[in-house]
Amino acid sequence: MPRGLRILLCLATAVVVARGTLVPCRAAGATGSDIAVVVNSEVKEDNLPLAALRKVVLGDRQFWSGSQRVTLIIRAPEARERAVVLKKLYQMDDAQFRQYWIAKVFRAEIASGPKTVTSNEVATELVSSLSGAIAFVDSAQVPRSAKLKVLKVDSLMPGEKGYPLR
Amino acid sequence: MQIGVLSRFCSRVRLTVVVPFLIAIGAGLVVPQEARAEAGASVSQEEANRQVLRRIDELEAELKALKGQVARAATASAEAPVTYPTLRIGGFSDVTFSGSRRGSTSGASLGQYALQLNSSLSPRWNFFGEFTAGARADAGTGAPPATGFNAEIERAILRFDQSDAFKLSFGRYHTPINWWNNAFHHGLWLQSTVGRPEMTQFGGRFIPVHFIGTLAEGEFPAKGLNLNYGIGLGNGRGAVTSRGGDAGDINNSKAYLVNLFVKPDKLYGLRLGGSYYRDRINMATGRRFDETIVAGHLLWDRETPELIAEYARAHHKELIGGNFAGEAYYVQLAYRLPGNQRKFKPYVRFENMRLSTADPVYTGTPGTKGVVSGIRYDLSELVALKAEYRNLQRVGAAPFNGVALQLSFSH
Repeated sequence: MPRGLRILLCLATAVVVARGTLVPCRAAGATGSDIAVVVNSEVKEDNLPLAALRKVVLGDRQFWSGSQRVTLIIRAPEARERAVVLKKLYQMDDAQFRQYWIAKVFRAEIASGPKTVTSNEVATELVSSLSGAIAFVDSAQVPRSAKLKVLKVDSLMPGEKGYPLR
Repeated sequence: MQIGVLSRFCSRVRLTVVVPFLIAIGAGLVVPQEARAEAGASVSQEEANRQVLRRIDELEAELKALKGQVARAATASAEAPVTYPTLRIGGFSDVTFSGSRRGSTSGASLGQYALQLNSSLSPRWNFFGEFTAGARADAGTGAPPATGFNAEIERAILRFDQSDAFKLSFGRYHTPINWWNNAFHHGLWLQSTVGRPEMTQFGGRFIPVHFIGTLAEGEFPAKGLNLNYGIGLGNGRGAVTSRGGDAGDINNSKAYLVNLFVKPDKLYGLRLGGSYYRDRINMATGRRFDETIVAGHLLWDRETPELIAEYARAHHKELIGGNFAGEAYYVQLAYRLPGNQRKFKPYVRFENMRLSTADPVYTGTPGTKGVVSGIRYDLSELVALKAEYRNLQRVGAAPFNGVALQLSFSH
């Protein structure tokens, strides 16, 4: 086999292998999987009705039943997790979301708005370490950890039929 | 910001390290294969592929470790122990251009500058402050000359959050018997319209705008109704009835209020509530009145549409005899346009304030009836341009027809 053809074939192989490696990595942040509600393991709740979850993200409910203060963690704009939360829970666009929290803080109804993070890794690390923290993470990217747990929403886990956050 | 930079760095590492490496590996395969072929070696292609895959696994593991380090670094900064007090600063202001056919000069006016301070003093104690500076029409006149702006503490609230069901606060509030007053305060950018309803004007007298004292508030689920309550006790109106008793009450009869509202789970966006307020007013003239205000509101705040309706009825009973009553309401409807027109929000508001001209408490506050309509355009997420037409009929005055163009913002 001519040397040039061999080089070409090997390059093609490398590219195919590389694509095979990179595509899942890229897809991991953009899969169509459900969005899990992840909370610190000290949170007593295991299940929240959708309406109760909405109250949490709206800042209308600021305490868990164990009396920990809710620390809300939201992905930065452009993340799919944020888009799902805004659409399904807030039913707002980004501009409305921002105005909502400016008004909420200005009304003295809450001391501060949500913490914004740019990756699911940071979100889950924060949830693991902050008592009362809650975040929304692609269910395929929830790490196994004793410090956090996934809440049921309307008694459904991510992946189950009818799960509302997808 | 740091988190974003680190994440982008991580993504870049993935692309800039993995792809060139794989290409290098691919190219590297050529030489050994060729060399082996020339040397008559018998390493199979499958073995070479396994080596490549093993190396890829190693690289993936390295990347995962690197991402973990990035996440831990970001988390470490985010979870650093909170040092109290924390302080957050925000603000609102506006510039309004207005004109009318008669009654006032046209031109620009600088709106109030509202400065908001939020400070957490501990996990459960928070302080909220709102200060305003408003331009004075009499600036530079008098002796000593009046300053150019009036500075005012609008709200100063220290609150203890025990739970969702019980929060106790102390300080100076916007009296929580009127929805508008407590929803928008002095942040004109927050409201759809240029101006406030007549019944809740800055410096107005129809309802006491400020309340100094203590307020207990909270929420109960109430089977999905989400019943909220507020119970307040403190100083009501001062000797100047448009102001609160900041320096102390003018009598020993404390003002008290109760408000209740529900926000049903099943009707997300709906709020329905009412309030009761009672105070004794000692006017500078020496006349004394028992004041009772009953108010109600209905709100649908989803923007498609936005509906705000409020009603309040005030009753003043003079202690030596005599009864006066006044009432006011407004209905405001707005709609955030769909699709590409989302930045536009047309609105209209009808309002009516009927006051007894004989009521000494409302001296200088004429009844007003009218309509305002306009459109809000969001120039950016934090800057809004509003254009409004006003047609108001004040008792004892010629009809007012005017336009206003307002640029408002939050920072």
